Formats: sequence, C-alpha cells, structure tokens
Amino acid sequence: MTQQLPAPQSQRIVLPPHRQRARRPRSVRTREWIHRNLFPSTAGTALTIVSVTFIAALTVGIVWFVFFDANWRVITDNRWLLFAGSFPHDQEWRLWAAMGFVFALIGLSYGMWSSLGRKDHLFIVLTGIAVILFMGHGGAAFWSSLWFLLSIALLFLGYVIARTIGHDRARQRSLLTRVILLRFAFDDAFSLRGGFDKTVPIQTRARAVRVALFPTRTGANRIVGGLLILALPLVLVILLAGGGASMRELDGFVLNLLLAPVGIVGGLVIAIPLAIGRASKLHAIKWTCTAYIEIVRGAPLLGWLFVALFILDDIIGGDLIIRTMVVLAVFTAAYMAEYIRGALQTLPHGQYEAAQAVGLSRGQSLRLIIMPQALRISIPPIVGQAIAIWKDTTLVTVILPLRELKGNADSAIAQSEFIPDRIEAYIFVAVAFWIVAFIMSRISQRMERAQGIGER
Amino acid sequence: MTSEDTASSEPAPPKISTEARPEPGTMVPERLIGQPDIITVSHVDKWFGDFQALDDVSLSVKEHEIVVILGPSGSGKSTFIRCLNRLEEHDAGRIVINGIELNEDVRNLNAIRSEVGMVFQQFNLFPHLSVLSNITLGLRKVRHLPRLDAEALAIQLLERVGIPEQAEKHPAQLSGGQQQRVAIARALAMQPKIMLFDEPTSALDPEMIKEVLDVMQELAESGMTMLVVTHEMGFAREVADRLFFFDEGALVEEGTPEHFFTSPREERTKLFLSQIL
Ligand SMILES: Nc1ncnc2c1ncn2[C@@H]1O[C@H](COP(=O)(O)OP(=O)(O)OP(=O)(O)O)[C@@H](O)[C@H]1O
Ligand SMILES: [Mg+2]
Repeated sequence: MTQQLPAPQSQRIVLPPHRQRARRPRSVRTREWIHRNLFPSTAGTALTIVSVTFIAALTVGIVWFVFFDANWRVITDNRWLLFAGSFPHDQEWRLWAAMGFVFALIGLSYGMWSSLGRKDHLFIVLTGIAVILFMGHGGAAFWSSLWFLLSIALLFLGYVIARTIGHDRARQRSLLTRVILLRFAFDDAFSLRGGFDKTVPIQTRARAVRVALFPTRTGANRIVGGLLILALPLVLVILLAGGGASMRELDGFVLNLLLAPVGIVGGLVIAIPLAIGRASKLHAIKWTCTAYIEIVRGAPLLGWLFVALFILDDIIGGDLIIRTMVVLAVFTAAYMAEYIRGALQTLPHGQYEAAQAVGLSRGQSLRLIIMPQALRISIPPIVGQAIAIWKDTTLVTVILPLRELKGNADSAIAQSEFIPDRIEAYIFVAVAFWIVAFIMSRISQRMERAQGIGER
Repeated sequence: MTSEDTASSEPAPPKISTEARPEPGTMVPERLIGQPDIITVSHVDKWFGDFQALDDVSLSVKEHEIVVILGPSGSGKSTFIRCLNRLEEHDAGRIVINGIELNEDVRNLNAIRSEVGMVFQQFNLFPHLSVLSNITLGLRKVRHLPRLDAEALAIQLLERVGIPEQAEKHPAQLSGGQQQRVAIARALAMQPKIMLFDEPTSALDPEMIKEVLDVMQELAESGMTMLVVTHEMGFAREVADRLFFFDEGALVEEGTPEHFFTSPREERTKLFLSQIL
C-alpha cells in the first residue's frame, strides 16, 4: 500500500488511505477519466475531435486499401522470389529447419532471462496471422504455413521449457542424484514382481523424471548462452552443409536475415578489442585502432560496398557474399567501438582500482568487471546501430549483383502484369523490415530493464 | 636510490636490505613491543609530473598494529596508502611488506595484492554483481576456490559484518553503510594480513558511520594490522595504537593518541588538530 497519495491534480478527489478500496464505481471513474483526458476544455475538445476524425479516416483508408483496394497477388505470386529467390526449391526444408531452430532459441532465451508480456503474445499472434494470410492467399502454401506454425509452436515450447527450468532452485545436480531420481520413477515399473506401485502418484513420477533429465538453471544458462553464440554458424551449416544451397543461392529475405546478424555479431566481436585498444597506453595499438575507426567512419557504407565489390576481390577474392559480410562487420564495428569506448570512459576509475585491489589481473578485470558494465551501458546505441545495419542490408542491391528482399521486390514489380502494384510491394517490404526492427527494439528494451537492477 | 639488479636466473625472494632501515618509531605502544615490522617504508618519494606528492617518507608498522593517518586535504595520505598496494608506483625509496619488496616484479605485485586488502571512500563495489558475487569473485578467480566453498566463506564474512540477509541483493539496493560493510567483507575474503582504509566513512551519512566504525573496531580487536586514513577522531583516540600526521607530502609527526591529543610537538600538527577537534 502506498502511504503517500500523489499530489492532488485539478479535479481529482483525494481519499484517505483506508478508503482507497471503497471508491466510486468503475463506470463513474471511467466517465471522469474521459472527461478529464478527452474533454477538459473547449480547445481540448476541439483537438480531440480533430484527432479522432483524422485517426478514423486513416484507419478506414488503411483497412479499405489492405482488404479491398490492394492487389496482393504481386506478393503471393512472388512469394518464393521475395522470401528466398534462387534458393533451391528442393532444399526448402533447410530454411524451415533454420527458422525452427532460431525461433526455439528465441523462446528459450526469453524464458531464461526475461518473460513474454501480454504485448509480446499479441505481437506474435498478429504477425503469425499476417504471415499465414499471405501464405494462404492464392493457395498452395499449405506446407509452408504448417512449418511456420510449427516454428511458432517451437518458440512457445522453448519458452515454457526455459521457464520450467527457471523454477528449479538447485545450482548443481550430480549424475548420481539424477540416476536415483530416475530409479525412483521407474523402479517398480520394471521389477518382475509386477506393475506400478499405485501409491506413488503419476505426477510425482513425472516430476522426478523431469528433474532427473533437465539441466539445472546454471547448466541451462550455459547451454542457451552457448547456443546463442553458436547460432549464426549453426544456421549457416543448416543452410549450406552437405549438399545444401551454395553461397550464391542465398537470396531474398533470407539474405537480409543472414547479412544483418553477421554484420551485428561480427561487428560486436571486432568492436570490443577495438574499443579497448583505443584506450590503450601503447601508442602503436592506440593509433592503429583510432585509424581504423576514423577511416571506416569516414566513408559511407555504400562506398565500402564498392570496396567489397572491386578492391577486396583483388585482395582476398572469395565469394561476393562473404566479402559483403566482412565489409558489413568491419563497418559496424567502427561505430560500435566508439559506443563502447564512450561507455568505458563513463565507468568510474574506482572500478579498475577495486578490481586490482581484489587481485584480478588486467585481463580478468576487463572481462569480469569492466566489459560487462560497459556493454550494459552501451546497449541502447549498439541496438540502434544494429537496427541501422539491418535496414542498410538493402543497400547491397544498389551496387552489388546480390539480390535481397528489396531487390527482389523490384524484380517482382518489373513483371508486366504487376507494374501497377508497386505500392503493395513496397508496403510489404517496409512491413517486413519493420517487424524485425521492432523485435530488435523490444529485445533491447527487455535487456535494459533486466540490467536496471545493477545500476548505480 | 634504485633497487639492486637481481640476477634474472635465480628468482630469490627480495630481502630487506639492512643498510636503509628507517629510524625506529619514536613511541611504540607497549602491547606491540617485540612484534616484528610488517610494513617498512624508507625514503619514499612520489611525483605527479613535477608536483611532489610524497616527500622522503620513512616509517614502519608492526604486525597487529592499528595506525591512523591524519593530515589536511592534499597532504598525500591517499597517495601514501595507495602506494602500499601499488595502486600508485613510488618513484624513489623502498617499500617492503611482509618481506616482499614492491617493485616492477609482477610476481611480487600479485603476492602483495593477496596480503593487503583495501577499502575505498566510494566503496567501489561492482554494481553489476550481487553482494555475494562481489565477495566471492576474488576467491573464485584469483584463489580458484570452488563456488560452494567460496560462497560459504562469503556468508560467514557477511555475518561478521552483520548483513548476511543481504547476500542476494545488488549493491545499489543497499544503504551506504551496508555497501561499505560489503566492501570490507570483500577485502577480508582474500584473507589479507593488512587492511588499508582510505576515508571509509567520509561518504556516509552520520547515522551510518557508527555501523562501519563498529565493524572496523571488531576487526582491530581480532588482531588485524590496519592503516586507516580517517577524520574520525573518536576512532583514532580509542582504537589506534599510533597516529601519523602528514602535511605537504611529508610525515611530520608520529606518536600514540595520548601524545597527539595532549602534547603534540610540531606547530603544524597543533594547528591541524585545533581545526579539526
Ligand atoms: N593522479 C594524480 N595526478 C596528479 N596529481 C595527483 C594525483 N593524485 C593526487 N594528486 C595530487 O597529490 C596531492 C596529494 O593527494 P592525495 O589524494 O594523496 O591527498 P589526501 O591527503 O588524500 O587528501 P584528501 O584528504 O583530500 O583525500 C594532491 O595535491 C593531489 O592534487
Ligand atoms: Mg584522500
């Protein structure tokens, strides 16, 4: 119970604490709320009317366009082109497998370190419905819809599993304990004298099996963390290994979805040593890192993509997609390094000294004390940069002979029958990009809030 | 003076040289007579650029001794105490702690860091770690203790400083006094022989000062060797064996609390005490 009531606003009636519960009926309060917030004065009422009219008109317009006016066949007929382009059709299962893996991992991570709120559930359901609608429209996408639904199911499954493990308070559980638990659950089931002991309820057995087989919270933390680190290589293996697609067949939205994480994760991996190096006392290291950062930031991404296309070809060769990935990572790293360096500078010097006084080596104090705090501080700008590079993956179409979602949308509307439907195509592209960007920003908010507790 | 070039082939532990012993303390309290010196500082200078922060400081501290360091602001108290665990490097002279000389040798440095615990004015707890992890960090990463052993020890230490129930919280959720007690527990976890305190109560609200001083007094009674920079004259009078007065980087006067509070010798000491009492 709050002891102190908020300062009385204009017309709010302040009740003494013991009467808080016995307030006026909900309908009265609603009426008051409407009055206070929507029609407080003549000017306020006018503003309310104007904005309500505007919003209503906009909504009607959007609904009309989406459901009646638009010709979504430009999307549904080109589904595969937009989604995966030249990815070989007979290897389709690899895409779904990768998607299922990623969704399950997202579910696991959320269950481990955060929780899905009502808004998240709503978002997942709405996105799911939208995707299914697009798949169903024009028919023949039954299996794809099914796989997509399965992926969403995996997300929730991962979430539930992680939550269950989260309730387990034990830090460690030895193999012996696990064996004893399993024996308890199945002992009499396999004994020769016959049958289950009815006095042990089946729920108890199930619980024993679960505890015996599941990792502890600490173990699960390690497993999910490890999977997150390995996620990107694993996805590439799923897509490419053993007679899968070739590098050049990564295409469409799939290409965006691969380029951006490589740029973000690779960028972060390069950025951390860069930031530390720029703060180094050794001049050679300091100047090298500074030069890297300033040179990379000195030219736009477009310019560096040209470098990937022509100059890197002569130097390292290799597949154009790999060169593009390298450029994206190198480019992102320069910005992220500056954010991390800024965070390093805001850390009080006492943190370094306390780490030294405890006896930690320089490497240990960086790894255990300094970097975790610096990374936490720089989550918001780093995620901002991540969203920027996500959208900038469309740039590869502009100059490289690579085709991602935006590029494939362009080819879709180049077909003579779809020439009038460019608006639909671009709206679709925009929404697709927005969905992923929105997920990133949600995750970032969650991470910030989860860290809030450790702040000064 | 420079440290001798020891042959790199034989890593003999550095010895205390006999030629540069400082003059013994003028007034060693009775309870410490016969105790060995655990800290020996001789002719130490420290420069920040062309500003001299420590000027020919020589002193020695006996095992189990409680030393309080006094002095006006900017007199080099912090600089001196930080030289003792090499958060600052001295430019001239020698510092020998428990038989180990402080010099460029990294092995010596690690040995010293495990002998000497430090408590800071601003606590400097690690804000991203729980109280328990703050305390167990050194045990696990430097001493390589198993997690459960380290945590058991940490809980014991938290009981000793009176806040075992706060183990799972984060530092930001504690009061200043509680934070400083966690910081003391963190330093104690490494089982140091010497504890350094740099104005441990200066950042605290008045009502929290006592709880920290109580912990320090208990620590003193348990036989810890302590060097305390503080303006708490009550603590100095009751707990200290000896007081050192610094001014402008030099050790101006040393003596028992009785000597200081009844008949200080130097004019600067008298002036300082008259201002602070
Ligand atoms: N890193 C540094 N660089 C330059 N000068 C410094 C540095 N640290 C301390 N000094 C200077 O050395 C002198 C002594 O500082 P020190 O912090 O040891 O004083 P103090 O006795 O602890 O004072 P206070 O009671 O204010 O804490 C001061 O004049 C200070 O400005
Ligand atoms: Mg000081």
